[in-house]
Amino acid sequence: MRLALRSLPKAWNRFFFAKQSPLPIALFRIAYGLLIIATLVLLRPDWLAWYGPHSWISLQTMQTVEPGTRINLFTVIPQTDGWINAFFWVFLGSAILLTVGLLTRLNSVIVFICLTSIHQRNLYITHGGDTFLRLAGFFLMFAPAGAALSLDRLLPIWRRRKKGAAEQDDGIQPQRPWAQRMIQIQLSLLYFVAFLTKVKSPLWLNGTALYYVYHLDSLRRFPVPAWLLGATTLKWAGWSAIALEFCLGVLIWVKSLRYYLLALGLLFHLSLEYCLNISLFQWDVLSAYILFIDPADIARAWNGIKLRLTGRRAWE
Amino acid sequence: MKIDQENGNHRKWFSKATILAINLFLIFHIVAITCWCVPFNIPPFPQCRKLVRPYFLWAGLFQAWDMFAPTPWPSNSYVEATVIYKDGSRTTWPFPRMEQLSLTDRYFKERYRKFSEVIQIDENDTLWPDVARHIARLNSTPSNPAKTIILIRWYSVIIPRPDGSYYPEPWDRHVLLGYGVRPEDLQ
Repeated sequence: MRLALRSLPKAWNRFFFAKQSPLPIALFRIAYGLLIIATLVLLRPDWLAWYGPHSWISLQTMQTVEPGTRINLFTVIPQTDGWINAFFWVFLGSAILLTVGLLTRLNSVIVFICLTSIHQRNLYITHGGDTFLRLAGFFLMFAPAGAALSLDRLLPIWRRRKKGAAEQDDGIQPQRPWAQRMIQIQLSLLYFVAFLTKVKSPLWLNGTALYYVYHLDSLRRFPVPAWLLGATTLKWAGWSAIALEFCLGVLIWVKSLRYYLLALGLLFHLSLEYCLNISLFQWDVLSAYILFIDPADIARAWNGIKLRLTGRRAWE
Repeated sequence: MKIDQENGNHRKWFSKATILAINLFLIFHIVAITCWCVPFNIPPFPQCRKLVRPYFLWAGLFQAWDMFAPTPWPSNSYVEATVIYKDGSRTTWPFPRMEQLSLTDRYFKERYRKFSEVIQIDENDTLWPDVARHIARLNSTPSNPAKTIILIRWYSVIIPRPDGSYYPEPWDRHVLLGYGVRPEDLQ
């Protein structure tokens, strides 16, 4: 016991502070940016209906129902169509810059503030995927997300090359992954809490919950084969979902099991994407799987792609 | 030489202080987020939630992971509005319904599914007048403005059968709100 307690600070430091390649967080930044852009594009046709001065829920009602001081730029900017539309374009521009990694830190802050603002402005249209993006965005502000695969890294290299400087590129520098770890913890908590909420529910335990979910007309996307909709199959599917949520919440931290669980989780979310009409939710969650991939494996895959590309170019 | 040593000491001290600050940040957020989202109501979870609530609301760290739990939505349902105009005519204005939209439109209009679910809940009755006003604005013309909006919830309960088969139950309705539109609502 004493030995375990003594090794705890060491394990803590290794987990949060042992430097590693920033490739996973950089890849996540790109996926995150793309998802924010997709969210904005999908919101665009009804942007003023949700957030404008004559929206479905007025700013005043929102502040009455959800009181308290909050990060919400809508309380600061003038309530006119022009300003609310300008907010959209600033948000979109910043999300694009974050995706390509230009002024990464600044843009991660702007994106987080804008995202939190639209959620606070209308909390009644957000789903779990939006919430996850907001929470990941909070920790992304602290992460070295521009240390790789970004214009922030490439521009100085190009400038030096242009000047004809002979000095070599130092390569991607290892970074402390504590902010990345917090997004990983957030993802595992998402699954673990979903597991806890379900095991407290009689409908999930007796196996009828998925019967309700599948027969909701508004949620159904593509048809599912009839043999998958039998009472027994739906029961097993429900119990399997609970078991998988437990595994993705807890066992994901066991290195030897990680890739198997990520593969199962990917299959799980893709099947939900096929069956259910919840815009972008599955992709919002899946984006954080990147953070669980070993940086060495990402580098290996990247080098493989590069080799194949350069090989093809040389052959051509 | 002495200045270099002082600079080195200063840098070491700064690095230690940074690590300490990060550690405090990590410990606080791990404990606070866990207490916030686990569905336990035994001490110290409720106390911790109460303590961090102002910060979580401000920073947008609030969260709930109760996807289709504890109870999935138990009925097929939708909201529509009956619009009565100044000249006495009436029309029905339906919220976008996912099952009636194309695949592409469903991606763009999915927020209406969520919003429609929210306004069907009686505890959210504070939102109904805003919704009625918005529908009045969408359906008014200067010559014939909307005079009354009636928000109606239509629902068909889902009843599980032992063999897994599904038969849609008859649709029933429940009036959520009757709203008299004022001229200033249409501004």
